[in-house]
Amino acid sequence: MSMTRRQALASAGAAAIAGGLAKPAIAAKDPISVGYLPALTGPSSSTGVGINRGIQLAVQEINAAGGIGGRQIELITRDTQSDPTKAVNGAAELTHGQKVSVVFGPVNSGESLAVVPLLARTNTPQVHPCWVDSLTDPQKYPMCFRNAPTNQQIGGAANRYVVEVLKRKKVAVISDTTGYGTASVNAYVPMLRAKGAEVVYQGNVDAANPDLKPELLRMQSAGAEAIMPWSVNAGFLSRIINTRGDMGWDVPIVGQTTLGSGQTKALLEKPEYWAKVYPNNFRPVCYAPGGKLSDRTSAFLDRLKSAKIDMGDTLLWWIALGYDSPRLIAEAMKAVGTEPEQIVGYLNKLKGFPGVYGDISFAPDRHDGYPDNEIVMVEANSLKDGAFNLAPGYSA
Amino acid sequence: MDTPAAQLRPSRPNVLGSASTFSAALPFLALLVVGVAFPLFGGGYWGVIATRACVYWVLVSGLNLVVGFAGQIAIGWVALLTLGAYTTSVLTAGTVTPALPPYLALAIAAAVGAIFGLIIGLPALRLRTFYFAITTLGFATIVTQVALAWQSVTGGGVGVAGPIFPEPFSSQWGFYYFCFGLAAICTWMTANVAASRFGRALTAIRDAEVAAEASGIAKPALLGAVFMFSGAVAAVAGGLFAALQSYITPDAFTLDLSILFFIAILIGGRGSILGPLLGTILLTVLPEFAAPLVAWSTFLYAVLLLVIVLAIPGGIAEILDFKNRRPIESDRAIIPRPDLIERLLGAPPDAGALTLEQVALSFGGVHAIDGLDLEIRPGQVHGLIGPNGSGKTTTLNVISGYYAQQYGAVRLNGAALPVFARHRRAHMRIARTFQTPRIVGSASVLQNVMIGGTIDGEGTFVESLLSLPRHRRDEVMLRDTAMLALAAVGLERLAAVRADRLQHSELRFTEIARALMLRPAFLLLDEPAAGLSAEEIGRLGALLLAIARAGTGVLLVEHHADLIFDICHHVTVLNLGRMLAAGTPAEIRSHREVVNAYLGG
Amino acid sequence: MVESIVSTGLAIGCIYALIGITYNVMFSASRVFSFTAGTLGMLGGVLGSLFIARMGMPAAVGFFLALAGGAVLGIVTEIVAVRPVLRSLDQHLYVLSTLALALIIQQFTAIEWSTEPQPFPRLFAIARGGFDQQFWLPMLACAAVIVGLELLYRHTLIGRAFLAIAEDTYAARALGLPERSLRMTSYALAGVIGALAGFAGGEMLLAFFANAPLLTFYGFVPVALGGMGNNRGAVVAGLLLGLFQQTANFLVGGIFASVAVFTVFIIVLLARPEGLAGAALQRRV
Repeated sequence: MSMTRRQALASAGAAAIAGGLAKPAIAAKDPISVGYLPALTGPSSSTGVGINRGIQLAVQEINAAGGIGGRQIELITRDTQSDPTKAVNGAAELTHGQKVSVVFGPVNSGESLAVVPLLARTNTPQVHPCWVDSLTDPQKYPMCFRNAPTNQQIGGAANRYVVEVLKRKKVAVISDTTGYGTASVNAYVPMLRAKGAEVVYQGNVDAANPDLKPELLRMQSAGAEAIMPWSVNAGFLSRIINTRGDMGWDVPIVGQTTLGSGQTKALLEKPEYWAKVYPNNFRPVCYAPGGKLSDRTSAFLDRLKSAKIDMGDTLLWWIALGYDSPRLIAEAMKAVGTEPEQIVGYLNKLKGFPGVYGDISFAPDRHDGYPDNEIVMVEANSLKDGAFNLAPGYSA
Repeated sequence: MDTPAAQLRPSRPNVLGSASTFSAALPFLALLVVGVAFPLFGGGYWGVIATRACVYWVLVSGLNLVVGFAGQIAIGWVALLTLGAYTTSVLTAGTVTPALPPYLALAIAAAVGAIFGLIIGLPALRLRTFYFAITTLGFATIVTQVALAWQSVTGGGVGVAGPIFPEPFSSQWGFYYFCFGLAAICTWMTANVAASRFGRALTAIRDAEVAAEASGIAKPALLGAVFMFSGAVAAVAGGLFAALQSYITPDAFTLDLSILFFIAILIGGRGSILGPLLGTILLTVLPEFAAPLVAWSTFLYAVLLLVIVLAIPGGIAEILDFKNRRPIESDRAIIPRPDLIERLLGAPPDAGALTLEQVALSFGGVHAIDGLDLEIRPGQVHGLIGPNGSGKTTTLNVISGYYAQQYGAVRLNGAALPVFARHRRAHMRIARTFQTPRIVGSASVLQNVMIGGTIDGEGTFVESLLSLPRHRRDEVMLRDTAMLALAAVGLERLAAVRADRLQHSELRFTEIARALMLRPAFLLLDEPAAGLSAEEIGRLGALLLAIARAGTGVLLVEHHADLIFDICHHVTVLNLGRMLAAGTPAEIRSHREVVNAYLGG
Repeated sequence: MVESIVSTGLAIGCIYALIGITYNVMFSASRVFSFTAGTLGMLGGVLGSLFIARMGMPAAVGFFLALAGGAVLGIVTEIVAVRPVLRSLDQHLYVLSTLALALIIQQFTAIEWSTEPQPFPRLFAIARGGFDQQFWLPMLACAAVIVGLELLYRHTLIGRAFLAIAEDTYAARALGLPERSLRMTSYALAGVIGALAGFAGGEMLLAFFANAPLLTFYGFVPVALGGMGNNRGAVVAGLLLGLFQQTANFLVGGIFASVAVFTVFIIVLLARPEGLAGAALQRRV
């Protein structure tokens, strides 16, 4: 459930009035508008829906604690519907119409590719969690920051696990036909080859295709020893897992975090099929080898439970990412105010922002904030209370 | 040199005066002013929306000719938007070819769009409506799939950066004016086509295809031209779209966009330029008014479409058509002026006779025509009568090329007429009317009659697009001739009225006026007196005699024996596909077998 | 490999064939093609998943309700989108009205049900593998419909009334057949067949709103190739389409497979617009 613009306006208006009534002699403090471009509906909305839960919680907490210097955060949401055209329209409205201080989002790469240049032209600072490598460029887009890993980082971790830990040399890489999927395959195949692996199968398949057996049979006859799927589409990923199980083919599946989501689990034919599935995830939100979560994460899970936020059909790290993002922006504004150049200057020097999902650091020549060493592989079927165990043989 | 029609001009009031042209142009001028002044009052956000509306209209203006005028249900036109966007972007990016300047890339995209518009549209000539609609949907999917698969060129799922147009069009408002300018040009061009013989011919193909063929309109060539034009502007819109988005990926070209374009035309109303223009603006702007509407936008469009189809099929254009809500006088009489026929038809043609020699045609086991000989001489009225099912209409259809005889020959002046070449008959000056009037209901009476003279225009499609002198001369000529024809049949007071408001008898005379536009050597009439009052039949007879006196050979297929015997020089009686008797009216009236089989005591 | 292509190809071919039959039944009753045929297929899967998986009803009840839903949509199509435009002279309005109705239902489903594919319940608690129920369920459904329609048309009065309306509306009316109720019943029947297709194919296609445009296109190909109103042709063409698609999927991969299917479809259609088994049209002048 997202907060509509009207609701946001209403709450901000109430706060303004309350402030005004209490101290009639002093002018009421204007809310700070933060633009937000999630994909809450449409074909690629699972990420957006998950992230949204974290965002709403964070904004509520910040406002309840008094906001930023007494000013409430007003979150102005424009659902992109997973459509780059609507994302551009929404970005235009947020910047020209609503004159927001900062924009968070879009959350899908295809939409970001169109929105990043537009926001750069309007001098609006932007923080987004999209993975496609080309979406940050400190020279071309000096005001755009990424508080999530890049495709290179994610792929690097997964490839390392397959080649060095599981010691599989013949690999099949498969994705759907979205921008994210295609970019991933294009990036990861050379990386695998550089590590000395042999890519025996490489393909982009329409996510709506009901039968992936021909693809897996092709992988099998090419001698693949591991399958690496890259897609956020739970239907697509579940079909790969199910087909592997139906074929009785014993190879590990290593790849996108969504392999471990509740949505994927719901589409499995048999729970046993979830064995030997190793998605990416992030160390701060996983169980350490002793079976315990970090204090920060435990506290966060408690907050989620008391706010009655559902985790079962999504991924914890999405919610955590969503939770961290407004707090990151609020930190910047608390320190230096709402002027764009000030915010950008602050972010350029940010070191170790303590997020639930990860510690974010930026530099003037590095706008990708997520640290390499916090990206890990986990065991999908160890899912408990939203968090996973690290994958076997996985260390450091 | 004064044409016969021009001689008539001073004594007739200009029914469609300059006042009405100005009032027709007024909404466009208003939109032009609003559009030019837009940056003064619209902010950056509405600037993006306005630019988007202009880009969409560039595409929809061309698609309007295909869907609204030609009546083809092309639902998947986003395929051409995709093609244009990728062509322009890839050519300016310099990844496959050396980087080209954006204007050149746009022009090349237009050429590519024209070719593919033709490819996607041509199946319309072979397929039924629903089938064609489905194939366009298939094309849209195909183009998106190819964009996804052809990674080396299109970047696959990652996409490519859109073109950036040079100064002064690189700023937001600069680019807006660029798109607005192109949108204005497209409006002007398509309005020119709408008011040309090509536009009228398209509506004839849409609503009265049979009559269009009889008027000599060649469907393939015309549709081909329209598909090419529509494809070209759609591709240009694609290039502009790519620039607006800054970056294009295949998932931006959704089927929802195709639906938007298509519905904008239908909500606007077919056969109109203003309607679809307003429709496009409405559908682009509507979702922006409230955030929840964005998710429900396609749902809303579909509901609007359903409402329009069921309640107001004419769309916005029908709502704005104030002219046609004014009542027309109820006691109208059709009073033809046979004296004008000679001026209208000009000098008698040199044609010899139109003859049928032993023509035979069967449908399955039924011998529709069974060895028929017939001769229609210029300057004479030849009657063809007989009971129902005797083959009268079939004979007429064979002569006019709708059916092909299986035996025998149809000759004009000795030379055999090609079979099935029904749209060539008009070029041979063979004109006809139909048993049920085939007219374009949503067009005015004058426009319907002007359709009859389509093949006499000399200007090409491109000249009409650009409103060049030859196009304007054609229009004046056709209009004057049509007014003269309407005066001759007695309907000039109804020239500006929409044809579907007319009474049945008036439609019959309209068809005759349309046929006369060809200045026919032979005029074939299929039961023109059906549904006419006795007085009207008398006037019809006088008119037909005048036409014959001017040198035309008239074939009159009829049931009204009185009319036949009053005006015909020769009569042929058919029964069961064979000639039962032939001769002068006097001979036929007393012929024993004819009386038994048909006329009765 | 081959057995995978054959089993999937035939199964999905049966789903396409059933949608083709849905188109045909509607066409026979009214001489119009309706865009809602593919949407009916989609609803069969979505309603099945809604009733059985989400609302927890027993499979038989869910099945019955899903078919009932299809019948309701069929009747709604007839009343809202077909009957009003049959009266008008401009027959092509039916393309627009049925398109609008199909879009309305698809969008509503996307927003209210889900934009992601949802799981479809396993109907029989039999172990997986081999010739699995997700393959033979559609085939069974297709066979049942063919046999059922045969019996209906040849041996029941109402079936023969349907045939009469399809042959010659005027003559049928002159004989006193109630044209309107027969048409409505035909559309209800078509709705049931479409919903059955989606329900039987639910496990393969999942409960997904985007199945609607997919089935609209792929379900029409059997009609176009088999000849309008020709159910036997639709079945043969549907099975061939399914096999061809799966073979192409295997040989050249997913994207090029759809390009291949479409290209072949267009070429065949341009060569023989009336379909491989249909009769050429005569036009009234």
